[in-house]
Amino acid sequence: MSTDPLLRIRDLRVSYPAAGGMAEVVHGVDLDLAPGERVALVGESGSGKSVTARAVLRLDPDARLSGGIELEGVDLLGLPQRRMREIRGGRVGLVFQDPLASLNPVMTIGRQVMQPLVIRGVSRRVARRRAIELLERLGVRDAEHRVDDYPHQFSGGMRQRVVIAIAVIAEPALLIADEPTTALDVRVQARVLELLHELAAERGMSILLITHDLGIVAGFAERAVVMRHGRAVETGTVDQIYNAPRHDYTRALLAAVPRIGGDVTRPLAVIGAAGNAPEEEES
Amino acid sequence: MSAHAAAKPRTRRRVPVVEGIALAVAALVVLMAVAGPLLAPYDPYAVDLSRSLLPPSAEHWLGTDSNGRDVLSRVLYGARVTLPATLVVIAASTLIGLLIGTLAALGGKVVDEVLMRITDIGLSLPAIILALGLAAALGPGLSSAVIALSLTWWPGYARLVRTLVREVKDAEYVDAARVMGVPQGRLIFRHILPNALNTLYVQTTVDVGAVMLVISGLSFIGVGAQVPSSEWGAMIAGEANNLTNAWWAVAFPGLALLLTALAFNLVGDWLRVRNDPTIRQEAR
Ligand SMILES: Nc1ncnc2c1ncn2[C@@H]1O[C@H](COP(=O)(O)OP(=O)(O)OP(=O)(O)O)[C@@H](O)[C@H]1O
Ligand SMILES: [Mg+2]
Repeated sequence: MSTDPLLRIRDLRVSYPAAGGMAEVVHGVDLDLAPGERVALVGESGSGKSVTARAVLRLDPDARLSGGIELEGVDLLGLPQRRMREIRGGRVGLVFQDPLASLNPVMTIGRQVMQPLVIRGVSRRVARRRAIELLERLGVRDAEHRVDDYPHQFSGGMRQRVVIAIAVIAEPALLIADEPTTALDVRVQARVLELLHELAAERGMSILLITHDLGIVAGFAERAVVMRHGRAVETGTVDQIYNAPRHDYTRALLAAVPRIGGDVTRPLAVIGAAGNAPEEEES
Repeated sequence: MSAHAAAKPRTRRRVPVVEGIALAVAALVVLMAVAGPLLAPYDPYAVDLSRSLLPPSAEHWLGTDSNGRDVLSRVLYGARVTLPATLVVIAASTLIGLLIGTLAALGGKVVDEVLMRITDIGLSLPAIILALGLAAALGPGLSSAVIALSLTWWPGYARLVRTLVREVKDAEYVDAARVMGVPQGRLIFRHILPNALNTLYVQTTVDVGAVMLVISGLSFIGVGAQVPSSEWGAMIAGEANNLTNAWWAVAFPGLALLLTALAFNLVGDWLRVRNDPTIRQEAR
């Protein structure tokens, strides 16, 4: 690629304290993300996807990181904590694996969405305005009033939009979405991915989408990195990975995808989906 | 109103009957404490021995005591003594408990260790012995009782706050806020403490009844509020030997004490249930 990467990860190794020393769980991962690019990080459970994502923002104080992580040319591993805090939520937004648990139960939705702006010195009035606009853009109806509600008054799908709003309100250059849709039913999943896609396109924002489901990658990402046991085993465009997987493990992952070809972002008919309320009627 | 208003009543369940009554009683006691002097038909301290130990009548709804003082007026004034004393104990204990508990939970191993040892010492002090000691040192009186009780009551809150803060600080939403670059101070005051306090204030409401009983108990055994005072425990102590021939002089302050303690207890329990996030989720 000719453009300078937004994010450049080289030989990233992550170890955690374990009985009798440090246990390495990520063993040298390389990853590049161009500005505006959408890349999927795919792999089975425990392959080190979340650990890699958290390492980018240096979120675990007891994790030992080595290798290189550069964001917009700045070496993040050498950055003092204060600068790191500006990057978190400012240049890089993160949506958690379980977004439904990542809202403060006793703070109004509005205050939580405004917070990344408020802590960066934006006035409350302006921040509130922007929070409402963004929530509306993300399909939260009547956002003007709903910002004064608390998380438990929101449905899963709506809380997911709130979490995304929090992650992107400060207009980060990169959004890391760690399985943002696994807690949602299939219809809502597809809609949320669509919204992320639109948002990224509108803002020229890059997305690193973490998932174990190759099925949702095709309609979403341009490139994919396949991880297994803490290593990146295959990197390529989504086309390459779908049509000419080089690694056995990738082939196995593909075999687990229920339908190849066709519109992979279209919702599946889910067995036993009776409990899944139609998404647009939720509150 | 807008469409979402329709969903609201489901999240705020109605107040059940018993708790509704408890809430009303608690509110009544607060009203008594605030407006007692306006409501009381007589001067609660006016001695008139010619009218001593009159049974309840139209003139004296709750009768008179051995000094001819109107029991109703004294019970009403009593709320002004017992309730504020209770609230001072609760407030002082909450403040100390919050400070010590938060520091212990967030201050690292050594701080935690030291503060928890101090808390253990506080926990091992029996309120009554300390009150007796303070009464001997400072002279008996309501303030001795309040100080003694505060000194023995905060360690429970320090423990509770420590547990709550440790729990909340690892909650995913706190991590999520940190991920968004929220600085440490804001993290503590906007995210950790408000969530911990949610449970703490339920506990303090439940404790109002207990603290009230101890204060009245201390007054009853003579180390709290002193004799002419209309503090409920002191009233009971003053008339205890008339129990057989003038039950009203003892029963009504006792009843006031019992109902108030019970009311705050029930209200606290109700708040506990209402605050329980798992129950709240179901209500959605
Ligand atoms: N804080 C930690 N301390 C020690 N080990 C950890 C820690 N976090 C993760 N690990 C280990 O690192 C490995 C990779 O975990 P990670 O959470 O990155 O997996 P993942 O690919 O995100 O899986 P999933 O799809 O289940 O989320 C696991 O074996 C896990 O036990
Ligand atoms: Mg994960």
